[in-house]
Amino acid sequence: MAIIEVEHLMKEFKIAKRETGFLGAMKGLVKREFHTKHAVKDISFTVDKGEMVGYIGPNGAGKSTTIKMLTGILVPSGGTVKVNGIVPYENRQANAKNIGVVFGQRTQLWWDLPTIESFELLKEIYQVSHSRYKENMDTFTEILGLDEFINTPVRQLSLGQRMRADIAASLLHDPPILFLDEPTIGLDVVAKERMRTFIKEINKERDITVILTTHDMEDIEQLCQRMVLIDHGQKVYDGEIAVVKNRFGKIRTLVVDLEQHSTPLTLEKAEVFKEETGRYWIRFNREDISASGVITQITQTHNIKDLTVEEPEIESIISRIYQEGFDGVEQPIPVKSGS
Amino acid sequence: MFNYRLYWTFAKKSFLRSAVYRFDVWSRLGSNVIFLLMWGSIWTVLYAGREEAGGVSFQAMLTYIVVSQFLSGVNGAGTPLWEIQEKVRTGDISLELMRPFDVPLRYLFADFGSVFFYMITALMPLYIILFFFMDLSIPNDPLIWLAFLFAAFIGFLIRYCIEMAFGLLTFFLVETGGVEDIFYFAMSLLSGSVIPLWFFPGWLASFASYLPFQGIYYIPNAIFIGEIAGNQIFTSIGIQLFWVVVTYIFLRLVWKKASQKVVVQGG
Repeated sequence: MAIIEVEHLMKEFKIAKRETGFLGAMKGLVKREFHTKHAVKDISFTVDKGEMVGYIGPNGAGKSTTIKMLTGILVPSGGTVKVNGIVPYENRQANAKNIGVVFGQRTQLWWDLPTIESFELLKEIYQVSHSRYKENMDTFTEILGLDEFINTPVRQLSLGQRMRADIAASLLHDPPILFLDEPTIGLDVVAKERMRTFIKEINKERDITVILTTHDMEDIEQLCQRMVLIDHGQKVYDGEIAVVKNRFGKIRTLVVDLEQHSTPLTLEKAEVFKEETGRYWIRFNREDISASGVITQITQTHNIKDLTVEEPEIESIISRIYQEGFDGVEQPIPVKSGS
Repeated sequence: MFNYRLYWTFAKKSFLRSAVYRFDVWSRLGSNVIFLLMWGSIWTVLYAGREEAGGVSFQAMLTYIVVSQFLSGVNGAGTPLWEIQEKVRTGDISLELMRPFDVPLRYLFADFGSVFFYMITALMPLYIILFFFMDLSIPNDPLIWLAFLFAAFIGFLIRYCIEMAFGLLTFFLVETGGVEDIFYFAMSLLSGSVIPLWFFPGWLASFASYLPFQGIYYIPNAIFIGEIAGNQIFTSIGIQLFWVVVTYIFLRLVWKKASQKVVVQGG
């Protein structure tokens, strides 16, 4: 059963053109020219109850804009959104009770007060019953270790503690849907792991639907079965992560610095896709050839000064999918349409 | 449906929050005293030893300034204009849209909390002492006190509506310097906070009498010193009530427009 339905969603921002200099400023007083930025062009998808979906794309792709439309903070310029049967921007307050939101880049806790005060305030805001509040606080304290810092003012918390407090705060009112906007940004490895474990657990045990935006491939791999890739405000891919991983996870990039480059570099089962004053970027499929195989080929004709092997990052995967489409994929990646 | 407990909690938390910033309380109180001394001396010089000017005794004028400074201490303890503007710019207010409460009301109640804290810890002690030791004209009739307190409260609400609405205009403007200038000019001059309206030249006095700002300082101050008396008290409070309704509608309109048109920076 679809709990989130997004159809042909669009969002345009009007941005005033600013002209430079005194004359430009004067002109701006009389007549403003606007140009339109299409943050989200035409996005459709549905999310079923209990699903955990990675909503992925490079900076400026339109991720946060979409999330903000789902929370009701932004009114779409076109298309329709439904969250748990409610149109968010028309019925913001009713929608608010169905969702929990965490923004990794900013806290929603009361900055100057001990952490516990924010929880108590949220209890009143969402009219959580006393017994339910206590139950939830006990659970979250146990898993997230909130008792370490519950009486510390939010401004004195470390980033890891703040994120733990923020995610607990977003779940106090038992929302069926949780939006996580870059929940692990800036966290160290241990804190990231703790976050992921918690997200996994609440998704499993409470059947909470989670939409997660992130730049961290690990987050997606560990948490989501499905991902929606967007770029330039449009959906590029929607489907299982395993498919993308199989296709692009095999591609490795070898970066080598070579001493002389008089003779051209010719390789088998690998291709040079970029070259810059002695530095070569070589792409190969690790099922066809191993990294050492490529290196051996190079050393036959050239001296290697330095080398690194790059893992595929989500950013590069996205840009490759976007630039190249799905050409050369043995099994075509299914693009689910928003039905 | 009005959820008392929720808004009450905002007031309570805001009270606690004010307690965190004790230095802020003292610095505010310090500047309040400085302004009081400044305006007190200016009026002493202006009266130049005369017992009365424009039909108002020196003692009454001094009382006017003291009451006015007390009220500006009260009004100044709410969320200031620049902070609302800042919250609009950073997107904090936009994010509050996804909470199940009414944003303007939430700020009003938060202001109640911080104002109450500031009143009991700083303003009341200071002004009670002032009233004991200075030769001021204090109303004898408890009904005048009641009328003053009521008028001061309505004045607070008018100021809140105007300040909040002006702050929310930041949603529509890139440059807000003009709005600030108008606001502070009106707050200091047209409200009669430092110069009572009866000293205004005719044209300015009638201009001010068509505006809501007189309801913030002039009306409560003048009731306190007896310059507005008898049936005039009812008319003046009537004018205040009219303006609190108008400014409230203005605030609601601005808020409605703003929340419809929210553009989150960097969305």
